[in-house]
Amino acid sequence: MSTTTTIPKKLPGMDLKKIGKDLYEVFIGPQHPGSGHMRIIIRVDGDVIVEADPDLGYVHRTMEKLAEGREFIKIVPLMERMAILDACNITLPYVEAVEKLMDIEPPPRAKYLRVLLCEINRVASHLYGMGIFGVFLGHSTMYMWPFGDREVFVELAEKLTGARLTHTYAIPGGVRRDLPQGFKEDAEKAVRYMFKRLEEYRKIFLDNPVIQKRLIDVGIISKNLAAKLGIVGPNVRASGIKYDVRIIEPYEAYDELDFEVPVYEEGDAFARAWIRIIEIQQSLNIIRQVLEKMPEGDPMHEKFWAKAPPLYKKVFQETKRVKLIPLFANLKVPAGRAFARAEAGRGEVVYMVESQNAMKPYRVRVVSPSFRNAIVFKYIVPGHRIADLPAIYGSIDYFPPEADR
Amino acid sequence: MPGKVVEKQTPKPRFINAITGNLGAILVGLKYFANPNRFTLKYPYEYIELRNTYRGFIVLDMKKCIGCMSCARICPASAMKMVKVTVQEGKKPKPYPVINYNRCIFCGMCVDVCPTEALAHLPVHDVVYLSMDEMDLDLERFQQKVESPSVKEGVPVKYVFDPEKGLVKVPASEGGES
Repeated sequence: MSTTTTIPKKLPGMDLKKIGKDLYEVFIGPQHPGSGHMRIIIRVDGDVIVEADPDLGYVHRTMEKLAEGREFIKIVPLMERMAILDACNITLPYVEAVEKLMDIEPPPRAKYLRVLLCEINRVASHLYGMGIFGVFLGHSTMYMWPFGDREVFVELAEKLTGARLTHTYAIPGGVRRDLPQGFKEDAEKAVRYMFKRLEEYRKIFLDNPVIQKRLIDVGIISKNLAAKLGIVGPNVRASGIKYDVRIIEPYEAYDELDFEVPVYEEGDAFARAWIRIIEIQQSLNIIRQVLEKMPEGDPMHEKFWAKAPPLYKKVFQETKRVKLIPLFANLKVPAGRAFARAEAGRGEVVYMVESQNAMKPYRVRVVSPSFRNAIVFKYIVPGHRIADLPAIYGSIDYFPPEADR
Repeated sequence: MPGKVVEKQTPKPRFINAITGNLGAILVGLKYFANPNRFTLKYPYEYIELRNTYRGFIVLDMKKCIGCMSCARICPASAMKMVKVTVQEGKKPKPYPVINYNRCIFCGMCVDVCPTEALAHLPVHDVVYLSMDEMDLDLERFQQKVESPSVKEGVPVKYVFDPEKGLVKVPASEGGES
């Protein structure tokens, strides 16, 4: 009996192509659970990657074009779809840009409420990133724990805004809801719990020799490379560049708050894991400070209350809910071009809004953080083994819907 | 005072860490093995009693509605449409809103923009529809208060914040006002 071995011509889900002597092309994604809605085309010599090519655009939704056909207020819930856990951070610059065009300044209380939700979002976003990072490395505990703890902050955001993920909280002129009863106590409990948990994350994940062996000196982004590629967010700060929009160009209430922005010199995957833990700590500090320092007053601009009928004031007194006047549906924004930026969970997000004195914008340009970080795969993956690719991918915290928008 | 940049370094692994690191990770794991911190919801046998401020399904109070069309105009997903209905014989037909839950994104702008509070959110987020056509509500069904399918047999629970366990699941009657 002869033994014949049959070699499958094509492995399911993986396209393998020989392109030279000992050189193969491997398509990872877009359905691969480890790659999200993107594809990385890598060329391998044995086990070592010699070339990597990030292939984006699988979840492109033409948001910028859609925005041109919508009224100004309707763009807020549209742009929220970019990042699931970062809804307030990712739409805040748009709202600021519209406010600049309309020449209005939100009241101080609204600024603090926006910062509060932004930091809750940042904690949730980083926890989500850490969870994905954990499961990429095969560390299931680190997958389950941050995803469970994220729920605490999603619940906190729901208490504040009424929705778990897509809050639509910041609108031109202020915010849609005031602080509910008992929020301060609940937030303090959540913050105390999270500080305790971060210590345990360190023990089970960052101090774990198995994780350290997989992360240290893997996927090093040097300071020069980070500056050359123009990457943003925790990734660039892990490479030693002191860049955070909250410090360079403080927006909302950030110039009144005391916080630290951690910067690491190493630039490897381990530093990128550490920076997220420290940033969560700082965000928790900011949440505490915001709740202490929050001034009394209205969460909406005084011009709004001048136009609002008496029923609106009554509803606000009873339910802390700011009712919108029908004028918001056809808000006419003066002509001009405004530019605003903010530090979202994954990095700097930039908006350019151009209006031609109409109800709809002429152009809304978005530059999202993940789009600027995606290019990094091309430069840091070559030279590593295939087994290091998930570690690098997880450490970048790349989020396809945000990049493709 | 604004924030400041603080330069840090990742802790360098030393030989001793091979022992203490493994031991620490195992001990934390064992701690949660003995005393797990679970808050899983056994849906549909349990369901969350949502807060009154929750942005859930929307209900119309036809008596309050003045037919101003603000809700249909502000809807970002074009889920709300106006239909003309003759309420009284011999009078002109008046516009009333209807909703299509295929499109609704629960942003709550229609509820907030209504000048007479004719629209309201229900603290319900799970309703079963058997077909897509059924999700396109008519005026009659838009006025009915929908109910979660787990209300009939399920036990209502609430999540309360806890500094030790994050969230704790308690029966809804014990949860207090939140």
